Amino acid sequence: MFVAKSIAADHKDLIHDVSYDFHGRRMATCSSDQSVKVWDKGDDGEWRCTASWKTHSGSVWRVTWAHPEFGQVLASCSFDRTAAVWEEIVGESNDKQRGQSHWIKRTTLVDSRTSVTDVKFAPKHMGLMLTTCSADGVVRIYEAPDVMNLSQWSLQHEISCKLSCSCISWNPSSSRAHPPMIAVGRDDSNVTYSGKVQIYEYNENTRKYAKAETLMTVTDPVHDITFAPNLGRSFHVLAIATKDVRIFKLVPLRRESANSSGPTKFEVQVMAQFDSHNSQVWRVSWNITSTLLASSGDDGCVRLWKANYMDNWKCTGILRGDGSPVNGSGHAAPLSAVGVPGAAQMLVGATSAGRYVTPPSSNPLAAPFSSPLPPLILAHSKIFIFYIFKASFLGSVE
Amino acid sequence: MEKMSRVSTIGGRTVFCHLDAPANAISVCRDATQVVVAGRNIFKIYGLEEDGFVERLNLRVGRKPSLNFSCADVMWHQMEENLLATAATNGAVVTWNLARPCRNKQEQLFTEHKRTVNKVCFHPTEVNMLLSGSQDGFMKCFDLRKKESVSTFSGQSESVRDVQFSIKDYFTFAASFENGNVQLWDIRRPDRYERMFTAHTGPVFCCDWHPEDRGWLATGGRDKMVKVWDMSTNCVKEIYCVQTIASVARVKWRPERRYHLATCSMMVDHNIYVWDVRRPFIPFATFEEHKDVTTGIVWRHQHDPYYLLSGSKDSTLYQHMFKDASRPIDRANPEGLCFGLFGDLAFAAKESLMSGELVIELQKTNNHKQPDFLKDESQFQESTTWTMLRIMFSEPANPSLSSNHNLNKSGNLPLVNSFSMKEMSTALNERNKENRQDNLHSLETNLNNNDENEETEGSEGQAEYLFGDAELDDDDLYSMEHDNQAAEEPEYLLPQEAFPLRHEIMDHPSAPEPVQEKPESPHVSGSEAESTCLTSMESFSLISVSQLLFSPHLPPKFFCPIVKKMLCYYAKQGDVQMAVSVLIVLGKRIRKEIDELTQEHWYMSYIDLLQRFELWNVSNEVIKLSTCGAIMCLNQASTTLHINCSNCKRPMSNKGWICDRCHQCASVCAVCHHVVKGLFVWCQGCSHGGHLEHVMEWLKQSKHCPAGCGHLCEYT
Repeated sequence: MFVAKSIAADHKDLIHDVSYDFHGRRMATCSSDQSVKVWDKGDDGEWRCTASWKTHSGSVWRVTWAHPEFGQVLASCSFDRTAAVWEEIVGESNDKQRGQSHWIKRTTLVDSRTSVTDVKFAPKHMGLMLTTCSADGVVRIYEAPDVMNLSQWSLQHEISCKLSCSCISWNPSSSRAHPPMIAVGRDDSNVTYSGKVQIYEYNENTRKYAKAETLMTVTDPVHDITFAPNLGRSFHVLAIATKDVRIFKLVPLRRESANSSGPTKFEVQVMAQFDSHNSQVWRVSWNITSTLLASSGDDGCVRLWKANYMDNWKCTGILRGDGSPVNGSGHAAPLSAVGVPGAAQMLVGATSAGRYVTPPSSNPLAAPFSSPLPPLILAHSKIFIFYIFKASFLGSVE
Repeated sequence: MEKMSRVSTIGGRTVFCHLDAPANAISVCRDATQVVVAGRNIFKIYGLEEDGFVERLNLRVGRKPSLNFSCADVMWHQMEENLLATAATNGAVVTWNLARPCRNKQEQLFTEHKRTVNKVCFHPTEVNMLLSGSQDGFMKCFDLRKKESVSTFSGQSESVRDVQFSIKDYFTFAASFENGNVQLWDIRRPDRYERMFTAHTGPVFCCDWHPEDRGWLATGGRDKMVKVWDMSTNCVKEIYCVQTIASVARVKWRPERRYHLATCSMMVDHNIYVWDVRRPFIPFATFEEHKDVTTGIVWRHQHDPYYLLSGSKDSTLYQHMFKDASRPIDRANPEGLCFGLFGDLAFAAKESLMSGELVIELQKTNNHKQPDFLKDESQFQESTTWTMLRIMFSEPANPSLSSNHNLNKSGNLPLVNSFSMKEMSTALNERNKENRQDNLHSLETNLNNNDENEETEGSEGQAEYLFGDAELDDDDLYSMEHDNQAAEEPEYLLPQEAFPLRHEIMDHPSAPEPVQEKPESPHVSGSEAESTCLTSMESFSLISVSQLLFSPHLPPKFFCPIVKKMLCYYAKQGDVQMAVSVLIVLGKRIRKEIDELTQEHWYMSYIDLLQRFELWNVSNEVIKLSTCGAIMCLNQASTTLHINCSNCKRPMSNKGWICDRCHQCASVCAVCHHVVKGLFVWCQGCSHGGHLEHVMEWLKQSKHCPAGCGHLCEYT
């Protein structure tokens, strides 16, 4: 059983990214409407928007949190070719704005000549480092030498990936046996350029990032890439969202000699590959114990993947915004229809987002929409929080 | 019909040609077969052929062309196909007649403006009327049949950046200014503008009348915005606003598409964007061919929306086809997905994707009936692991164990297979009586709390770890609510790959039973403490194991490779908690078997996990108890306490209790005047403090400092 709760995001265009902070109590969303919103979970479990501000002069593609050790810090990246670092200001706020927090821009990183498509903070043990990748195929690694001064960032590395980059992910492993590693996904639509995922590794001797591995089997544009939380593993697990969901396992091979300077060699295994979305997969996300992978695609569904004890990955649940588990197990909660969709939107002031409720489709296995939708000019997004309970896929997990 | 036939003659693809010099402006003739390119050093006419541009005519003639050829703007007359007008940077307005027989096609020269002319504009329907706007702040209307201007309009503002005749209203034209204003003029009334409004902050670089909608004017400015104004009513209304990423140099409505317009920028951004003004945040289409600033854009034909011509500072002239444009919206990620720590998954998606949305409030009733068989194999595995570990290492005959005071004695190894925390704590308490190892007790309590997913509600002092319990194990990601009643556990077969096992073990993690029964333990070790923890069923299952596996002369080292293998297995499964717990409990016995780097990695991962769940106390406990050097020093690095002496209120510089300035003991309780050993709380304002309980008591009575210094103390 899982329950879905929708939040009226009130963004004026599509939401492109949702990001939880380190402790899972804050959430940031970013949208094409050039704004970022910060949501805080109240004691009652409700998410409340505590800040909303215009961040860029173009679509904001991604938003990400820094480790709380560095303060309440966000980074965003945008179509307007910049990335920005934001810090929450604590202190005396006037009573009128109680419950609202104030974020100020600490820096703007303007090195890219094209749209900045992803921004990520490096793992905490590396210090305060920020990575961006852009549509012209350059990955840039910045460092704040003084963690107390968030307005000074120096460009440490520039990695040229040739093709347009869409996403990056740091290897979260804190082991000293694993040198800093970053995976880059590329979204060039030309299938003949194979190897849409590249792994770069820091070389202590040359003090540069060098290509360690190219996943040649990934030939379609990659939309999202995420390393699983490491949790003391000796190998790395990488989830990729392309035209399907893929899970790769990278096992570092022992070096022949201790002082060989080349990049680590990896044994690359495909652990799983699923095309159940039947469409482009846009996002993949690991849970904290890296036992559960969630993916979302153009079919409007979120699918959950889990490995059984044989290391076979299986779909353990399909989530839709309507809360009806598609695999049929579990029972839908009692519903009350408010009205037909069209009418509900007319209900001015009833609820802020014009929420409406319709009964679940009779055949939940069918694609949520088979008929082409009328073209929407202004697209809006909704946020759903799914609470996932084991019972919903007890039947399907091995 | 005529319109359609004309449009259909246009063919071609995305083509470009190199110019000799950067272009400043381009314009097409009415039948869309030729384009004129004008710039500081270029003035040429190109023919548009099926397979590209063909140079037709170079208008820049003469050995040393005069400044009149240096064009800021050019316009091809839309009715008279031989007539062109240019705005020269020296302030001249020049008309050109292509029908002239000689090489120099220049027809008329108006040198009335004093500074650069920014814009020229022919009247859309009146053949002989030409309008110009200049940097000197004046607009002039010329009759091409006369030698000089017929009327001059003074904006009383700053420089004129753009002038445009209205397409629908015969007498009206719009002018945009560097101070952000837009003025509407009636061509018959040169004394005063009809209307004026401030459109942008900063210069308004361009404006364009909508070809269909009367009174719609699009303006673009240095403030990076494109605004659409409706002037059909009495008050000017901003109806759309598009925010672009750079200052807007040109704006052109797209033919046949009511809400589309094309823009280009004069700085930084080299792309051409086509916007749907109803969706002001993402460009509808983008042309990314130019390598330098795009200076001129024009739709090839006034009724054809698929071809766009552009000239650029990079000395190229492009014909863009709409089907080759990149569509940012198609590449934009329409979804956001993120896993939270508490098993919640945030998902943002396009509303159209979520057909038939439902909003279900969190329903606790539905998930309250957590199945009792939730504790599936992995948990069972863990419990069995602990049992095995105990058997392996709890041999009393081993002198190395019993002699080591700090390590766990046999009874102290956590018995995880007793599945009720109540029983656990009782057992612990009992053991405690026997060997008062408070330290170890707390360790075990912590460990047990984290290791198992028990009903902690029953035990005292455990509640604070409930969160950790609920979250740390992946199975519990799904269980928000714990069941209070541990029911009968079904039988399980231990999965084969748990760790090297030689037998199948049937275990029955049973319901809590009164521990007082103290069933006889037939275990070889026969320790009393141990047996109290075992229910009859368990001990039964243990007998078989212990008797087969265990003979007294086997040293614990014998098992180390197995344990190591097991720990690696858990780490591989991502259950770093188990690995770290075993490391801590076994301490020295296993430490040497696993290399330092791996241990450190496990510890770090586990501590990171604990900190994510804000289990600071537990993580601190782990750091304290760790046997790994790099971890132990974690707490010693970057932790500094700055203390003031409570007597002289100056910073304490040396270590120890005595202040080196006033030579008195710095940490004296202000209430009882004794030296505080252990927990010392103090006010950061006045440096006075004392025993925690004394200060708490004092603060109930008074807000002032107990030392009598008059400070209103604040303890946070």
